[in-house]
Amino acid sequence: MDRRSFLKATGSSVVLAPAVFSSQANAQDATIQFAGSVPMTGAASETGLNVKFGYDCAVKFINEKMGGVDIGGKKHRVTLNLFDDASDPARATSLIQKQVDEGVNFFLGSFGSNIVLPTCAITEAAGRIMVQAGGGSDLIFTQGRRRVFGLFPRASRQFASTAAMFKTLNPQPQTVMFIYTNDAFSKVSAEGASKELEAAGYKVLNSIALPAQVSDVTDALGTVRAANPDILVCSTHDATSILIARQMVATNTNVKMLYQTLGPQTAAYVEALGKYANGVVGASYWDENAKYKGSIFGSAKDFAEYYRANFNRPLTYHMASGAGCIVAYVEAMKKVGNVTDRNAIRDALAGLDLETFYGRIKFTSQGDGDPVLLGPMVVQRQKGDLAVVYPTEAATAPTLYPALPWQDRT
Amino acid sequence: MRDPHFPDRQAMLIIQTALNGLVLGGVYSLAAVGFSLIFGALGIVNLTHGIFVICGAYAAMVLFHVFGIDPFLATVPVAIAFFFIGYAYQRGLIQVAISRASLVASLLVTFGVALIMRNLLQLVFSPDVRTITPSYSFSSLTFGSLRIDIVRLIAVLVSIVFLLLMALVLSKTAFGRRIRATAQQPLAANLSGVNVPHVLGQTFGLGAAFAAASGAVLGIVQPFSPSSEDFWTLNAFIVVVLGGVGSPSGALLGGILLGLISSFTAQFIGPSYTNAVMFLVLVIMLLIRPQGLLGSAFGESR
Repeated sequence: MDRRSFLKATGSSVVLAPAVFSSQANAQDATIQFAGSVPMTGAASETGLNVKFGYDCAVKFINEKMGGVDIGGKKHRVTLNLFDDASDPARATSLIQKQVDEGVNFFLGSFGSNIVLPTCAITEAAGRIMVQAGGGSDLIFTQGRRRVFGLFPRASRQFASTAAMFKTLNPQPQTVMFIYTNDAFSKVSAEGASKELEAAGYKVLNSIALPAQVSDVTDALGTVRAANPDILVCSTHDATSILIARQMVATNTNVKMLYQTLGPQTAAYVEALGKYANGVVGASYWDENAKYKGSIFGSAKDFAEYYRANFNRPLTYHMASGAGCIVAYVEAMKKVGNVTDRNAIRDALAGLDLETFYGRIKFTSQGDGDPVLLGPMVVQRQKGDLAVVYPTEAATAPTLYPALPWQDRT
Repeated sequence: MRDPHFPDRQAMLIIQTALNGLVLGGVYSLAAVGFSLIFGALGIVNLTHGIFVICGAYAAMVLFHVFGIDPFLATVPVAIAFFFIGYAYQRGLIQVAISRASLVASLLVTFGVALIMRNLLQLVFSPDVRTITPSYSFSSLTFGSLRIDIVRLIAVLVSIVFLLLMALVLSKTAFGRRIRATAQQPLAANLSGVNVPHVLGQTFGLGAAFAAASGAVLGIVQPFSPSSEDFWTLNAFIVVVLGGVGSPSGALLGGILLGLISSFTAQFIGPSYTNAVMFLVLVIMLLIRPQGLLGSAFGESR
């Protein structure tokens, strides 16, 4: 290269550089940044990862399939900046504080009320917004926060549909017993459920509280056998639910219905219990056969197909609720017409009433999911699959009740 | 009383609770004996202990799923493999750290390795909860109204066999004599022709082997994930403080005590108080008998 052509080349690059730079800057402007932490490791990581895969799926779909989302006449891409909080509330709070300090406006939730509660306190105090599908404890919504939204109804209201399902059972169950983990979510959830059932005329026998990390429930099951309830409700997380069910089978502790809030939905549960998982009842906030449709993803079935085509982790409702958080944000931003006015976006979220692939998303005045529109369906493991058994209009199979004794299950 | 059979039921409940406690304690003992040996003979608080236990569970899981080897039989190959891993780990890393700094360095090294291993396990096996489910894992034995699940019963029997085996190795074999001699007086042992660094490595290997074998047993008894490792380190620590350091009988006593405390607290006070009561007993023990019920198996030399 001679001197002249060298000067030409460098000269033109100096002239062109700012143009390239500014077009990059424009591209950076047209993004929506979501941030937060999820448990990718530690005790809550199984479901934490499910929620994360939901977030990932929504971002992938919006960026790759839709080519970004049109807000205020401009295409916006979505970025996701998630960290691993290792299921540790202390670690989560420092991660979220750091992101608040860096100027993140829109937060997605972690999984577990014990993590969501302290982290949403930080985002709220800093005037940032959090939409989450991982914390149901009443405390998240009843302490006067205005910028925290949950896709699930608060814990004490989550049991309404299950109590209604009990009413449809024949013969009518008489007695119910609770085992719950002594944490912010499970305890409130069990207390709420217990009140609901007593009001409905069932006799609630004594409740058993378990520590967060438990290696043996033989004694608790001894109490269950002595009390012999018709229904045993476990308000517990995945690993504890598996432990309880396994030990129930092994000690031949039979109840007419075993209901476990978390666990029966997961692949690990079926792997651990095999045929004994059949008959176990749980809650599900979303089902791919539901007849909902929205502008992002299309129908519930479309979401399931897109997810399975792009991700390997088995689909559970947590993926859908994770993706639902981002859909709620984006729909609110579309209404406002920009991605910077936090107050307007907050108001748009509060006023959201919109059908999406996840269902009709509508929050109560305190920010939790509408208990009727976003309340859980009741599901039961039947022949290895998860069947919706309640509400009746969405049911894919009748409830099997009373469940067969463990040794007769196939 | 509302229930005319109340006294009978109460008696049966106490027996059932005691039985549960004994079974749980047997498993705790096996999971703690490796920690106890390493702590007693080498003076190292091995914070990688829980990792050995969980690695044993994963190894048994792989052997079960890939080769169909029963987890109880898998204890043997798993233990042999971890003997060599433990030996290499002690000679290659821990001993180097101790000789360059002090015994305290081993705390940092084992803690660091535990963190690394935990994350590696998460990378390889994912953080999801795993279980090993051989065909008999859902069976139970019934005696009147007493019930005990077979898996736990076999686990206890395996524990006892392993603990006896270790007691025999320590008391009857030349290898055991070398371990005891090195633990009591490394210098004197060295002067008598014992290759002290080699014996320390072997002792560590033995501890690791027992930890991994207990993991293979625990894998059938309860669900596990990489994050459950710290529970087993902590448990081993409590068992050792209760029972005394270095001996299989101390581990057995401490384990059974811990099992009974957990079980009775869970039944009669409430399962959420087990940790509180466990640590209360631990504190009281440290105040009145810091050397544990059976004391150190390796005498007063340390």
